[in-house]
Amino acid sequence: MTNSIEIQGLSKRYRLGSTQHGQMLRERLVQIMKRPFGRAEEESIWALRDVSFQVGEGEVVGIIGRNGAGKSTLLKVLSRIAYPTSGNVKVHGRVAALLEVGTGFHDELTGRENIYLNGSILGMRKREVEDRFDAIVEFSGVDRFIDTPIKHYSSGMRLRLGFAVAAHLEPDVLIVDEVLAVGDAGFQKKCIQAMEGLRNSGRTVLFDSHNLSAV
Amino acid sequence: MPKVSIVGRLFIEPTGRPPLTSIKAVDASGICIATAETARRRNDGNRGVIRELWAYRELAYFLAWRDVKVRYKQTVLGLLWAVIQPFFTMVIFVLLFGKLAKISTDGIPGPVFYFSALVPWIYFSSTVANAGMSLVTNSGLLTKIYFPRIVLPTAAALGNLVDFLVSSVFLIGIIVYYEIPLGWNLLLWPVLVALLMLLAFSLGAFFAALNVKYRDVKYALPFVIQLLLFATPIIYPASMVPERFQWLLALNPLSGLIEGFRYVVVPSHALDWKFLSLSVAVTVVLFITSVAYFRSTEKAMADIV
Repeated sequence: MTNSIEIQGLSKRYRLGSTQHGQMLRERLVQIMKRPFGRAEEESIWALRDVSFQVGEGEVVGIIGRNGAGKSTLLKVLSRIAYPTSGNVKVHGRVAALLEVGTGFHDELTGRENIYLNGSILGMRKREVEDRFDAIVEFSGVDRFIDTPIKHYSSGMRLRLGFAVAAHLEPDVLIVDEVLAVGDAGFQKKCIQAMEGLRNSGRTVLFDSHNLSAV
Repeated sequence: MPKVSIVGRLFIEPTGRPPLTSIKAVDASGICIATAETARRRNDGNRGVIRELWAYRELAYFLAWRDVKVRYKQTVLGLLWAVIQPFFTMVIFVLLFGKLAKISTDGIPGPVFYFSALVPWIYFSSTVANAGMSLVTNSGLLTKIYFPRIVLPTAAALGNLVDFLVSSVFLIGIIVYYEIPLGWNLLLWPVLVALLMLLAFSLGAFFAALNVKYRDVKYALPFVIQLLLFATPIIYPASMVPERFQWLLALNPLSGLIEGFRYVVVPSHALDWKFLSLSVAVTVVLFITSVAYFRSTEKAMADIV
């Protein structure tokens, strides 16, 4: 079996302190004045340290860990959002990362407009969105409100719409971050079915959760 | 025997082609003792940017489309605002600088003189402002999804084009009203528009990358734009500037472009081609440097923003 994901010696370090949240130019200048030849002082934390593993094609893998264990960082590095400090990552095939439901949703736009926007943000082509549009609306169950700006949606409706778009992605590798914890029991069942559908079609799924039973 | 650890950077191609890696071996004190590179480097400058942008053109289009949609949602006048803003600015300029201060308009009717410069100026200033803020206002996207970050300032430059075109149509109305005959100069228009987009995008992308790290940009940007309004021949003709300061005016790449936009609609308006060529050169240099700076900061953006 070929591997979909190969990770070797992966480490990711984050700096602590003001640099994390945008640094004022003045502070940096003061720092340079104080220590003209030294490097900027900074505390750092290793979110990931020397992580290695492989995921085979078509496998569904769950990652469990306490809060702050580095699950999200790992998924961020895998989905190319964050760059590793060191180590190697190989992901084969088209990757879709769902670190959040409804990324890029805009309140003022209607459900219909947001489906196109969100689909495009998640890497779908316009044609793909058009082809799957009816299925997405049907899955979300918000068809009556599809031309209403989503600022009038309930939070449950927003989540359902977001997951509906995501469920119609057709990636080779799907990376999911705790998004299963959305919606009522009925909708959760639908989501789990969608995940199983993905597995049966031979896709690789990597997801993380606090919830052992979900894994 | 020094302890060796591998520090690697790795890029994953969306199509599933073999990844491009560059690996550096460093000893315990952090000194590089060997480097190895497989395949070509992803950071291959401007050509790489254009290829990436092309791959993500639909996303750029949808983000621009979103900006336009959202801008005029729940407004009664909608796209008319794209005309109202330059129109009333022009009226005030005519009264204040034309009638009161009696600043020369090079023999061009006041409304044509000001409006033809205001249309590109408003595109420029709003694009630099929007693109400059684009990474920070879309930080939700930046930290949740991968895409080439350059798509965001590009979308700002595309989205503002809609307003630009609407006000350009209105400009045609003004020219027809003043019965100014149009000539072959009009062929220069698309070239000028492309240059204007390139210039506004370059500055916007530079400020956007800087803004991720230094939020000072948020305060500096409106101020810089305001100053630039006076450093550009918008309320005065370039010919009014004394000969020995002409070079200073020409260094501002917007000067040549704005004068060019006037020349396009008023063929009798003399155009200094040296002026325009210098604008083109400065624009190209700005584009190359700002894209290079953007690329160098791109990898850390999601961690800092």
